[in-house]
Amino acid sequence: MNSASAIDIGRPAIRRDTRWRSWRGELKGSEYTWAVAFIVPYVAVFLVFVAYPVVYGLWMGSAASLYQELFADPIYQSTVVNTALYLALAVNVKMVLALLLSGFFMRPGWWMQALLLIYILPWAVPAQSGFISIHWMLNGEWGFLNNLLYTLFHIEGPSWLNQRWLALGSAITSHIWKQMPFWTIILLAGRMAIPLEIRDTAKVDGATGIRGFVHITLPLIANLYLTCTLLSTIFTLGDFGTVFFITGGGPANLTHVLATLGIRNAFDLAQPPLGVAAVMSALPLMIPLVIILMRRLRTAEVQL
Amino acid sequence: MAYLTRRSFLHSSLALAVAGSVARPYIANAAATTATMWWSQGFVQDEDVALKKVVADYEKASGNKIDLSIIPFAPERQKIISALTSGGVPDLFNSNPGEILAQYAWKDQWVDVTDVVETQKTHYHPTALLAAQAYNNVAKKRSFYGVPVVAGVVPIHMWRSLIEKAGYQMSDLPKTWDAFFDFFKEVQKKLRAQGMRKVYGQGFQVTANGNDPNALYYAFVIGYGGKDLFTPDGKAHLDDPQVKEAAIKALSYLTSAYKDGYVPPSAVNWNDADDNNAFHAQLMVMDVDGTLSTEVAVKAEHPDWYYHDMATQSFPLTNDGKPVVSQVGFGCALIPKGAQNVTVAKELLKYWIQPEVVGEVIKTGLGRNLPPMPELVKDPFWQDPKDPHLAGYAKQGMIDPTMPFYYVFNPAISEVDNEHVWSVAMFDVINNGMAPAQAIDKAFKRVEALFAKYQVV
Repeated sequence: MNSASAIDIGRPAIRRDTRWRSWRGELKGSEYTWAVAFIVPYVAVFLVFVAYPVVYGLWMGSAASLYQELFADPIYQSTVVNTALYLALAVNVKMVLALLLSGFFMRPGWWMQALLLIYILPWAVPAQSGFISIHWMLNGEWGFLNNLLYTLFHIEGPSWLNQRWLALGSAITSHIWKQMPFWTIILLAGRMAIPLEIRDTAKVDGATGIRGFVHITLPLIANLYLTCTLLSTIFTLGDFGTVFFITGGGPANLTHVLATLGIRNAFDLAQPPLGVAAVMSALPLMIPLVIILMRRLRTAEVQL
Repeated sequence: MAYLTRRSFLHSSLALAVAGSVARPYIANAAATTATMWWSQGFVQDEDVALKKVVADYEKASGNKIDLSIIPFAPERQKIISALTSGGVPDLFNSNPGEILAQYAWKDQWVDVTDVVETQKTHYHPTALLAAQAYNNVAKKRSFYGVPVVAGVVPIHMWRSLIEKAGYQMSDLPKTWDAFFDFFKEVQKKLRAQGMRKVYGQGFQVTANGNDPNALYYAFVIGYGGKDLFTPDGKAHLDDPQVKEAAIKALSYLTSAYKDGYVPPSAVNWNDADDNNAFHAQLMVMDVDGTLSTEVAVKAEHPDWYYHDMATQSFPLTNDGKPVVSQVGFGCALIPKGAQNVTVAKELLKYWIQPEVVGEVIKTGLGRNLPPMPELVKDPFWQDPKDPHLAGYAKQGMIDPTMPFYYVFNPAISEVDNEHVWSVAMFDVINNGMAPAQAIDKAFKRVEALFAKYQVV
């Protein structure tokens, strides 16, 4: 009994020691101190530049009254519709075109490489200069596009940025113009990773052209395509520059998306919490997207 | 010889971190006479030169140091809002945008500057004194929270050459409201008949960006007899039949002009500077735009335009021949609560608003803005007979009847302006086919909703 009691008394201490060693990652003595010393700057940077802004933002946008005010604002209501359209059209048109063009750029030849170089330019040039040029090109009175239409065909073009749907369409087209090259390159890399033997074997079996694309290429890059689409949706939801520089949210604040409305509310209306609330209202969409993306990245095997 | 060990490394790092954080306040205390100041970049370089000079002169006279940052308008606006939200404020900045004076006074975020304004109270224009006050909802009182350092009124800018090309003389300009603005429709027709395919008579900012569309709409409301839309006691008078009639008339005139093709189509989406650019490109014959920025911007590069081709004038008389009150915006210096060196900031402002100093600052900036004191526009600079713009501009802003922009009366009006409630009404008529009366009803409902948030007692 006595010896058993001694063992019982010692057990909690042993358990604590085991837990402590496990907590220290099996590191001993000075190794553990060095590990802590090296990790502290990263933790500090994370806390200051990641955790603090996120928590501060959540705190700023936490009052329920902000959301009551936001939902009652007619501009917010049109902004939600715009954001949904912007996401649905910009992301899907861009990704489908990128998928098709990635096949085009698979063709051999030096001229194809030269063409690819030119094709990438919109993505490579700074966004602001590109979008400001487009904004000017679309000006109804003196813009390049309408002058071209008049000079060539004597057609008086519309005022592209004066009507809600035309203006939003212009912003969506500009987003596609800017971002499509990037996703084309990603999907091109995916296509190039498909082993040559698979493609050759498929050709022998008669799977060429559209049939080869549908039965061989598409199934093999489907995972990549889906992951890219999810990622692009997250990026596009946070896209501020396109709408800001192309339409400025106008006419009459009718082409805002949540990203630009947040800035408008924060700085033009001088109500930062309302701006944060506008951006926060995208979280019900953003969080599931991020979770799905993370789960895909964690669980899916790389399947090409 | 000492070797660096793990323990000594960690101890030294910790000591450095502690020393760093402890040493900072000491440095700050040592420079207690330094004040931090943010100010908007001028429209022309001369304005920045003038600002730097007044700061340098003050530094020399006082021995204090001013850490001045001159920042472009839009980024400074964001910086100010961020600073007021986070609490990390400088000692002094300008009211950018003007509406923040009322919005943040409501939340008790400004230092009371009555003692500064009092030093020159007898010199200030009465409208300046009205514009520098705002209602504090914590203290439940109205007080001076801004120190006016510049003023700006909204003149009408015209191309003399285009009016003459259309076969008219400047003396043909009608004197009353509707006739005056209708005149430019005729000018457009005559110019179009001469093959000028892309010229428009009226440069109305029917957009939802910046302050221009608000100033334009209010000018028309006042021109049609609706001056009491908002009153200095912070109340809205939306039930007043005269006010409502003026609001509808103003909306009707501006939107009809647009729909009938007398306003550049892109005006519906102009930003703050687009009307200036369009005017310089002679896209339109006439523009209604605040300050003399349109003229001053081209003075150095195109003196012939400035002296001979461009013309400015104040608003015409009402349709029944009465003078129209012009709204004047006053650029104020603000000291936020939490400022580290209020004393130096106030001293600088007391120095700056001495009539001879503030007058010189405005003149060095080429007179885009007006001084906030009427006696200063008697200066030969403003009365130069060779200058076709300055004397009339000074008379409109400092001698003729004026009132402040409505937003100083109640933060709700700041929100009305910032939300561009009137621009949305214009768009409802222009693009959504709403009748002006219906669009005004909708706008008034929004105004009521915003006023419900701010009950001035």
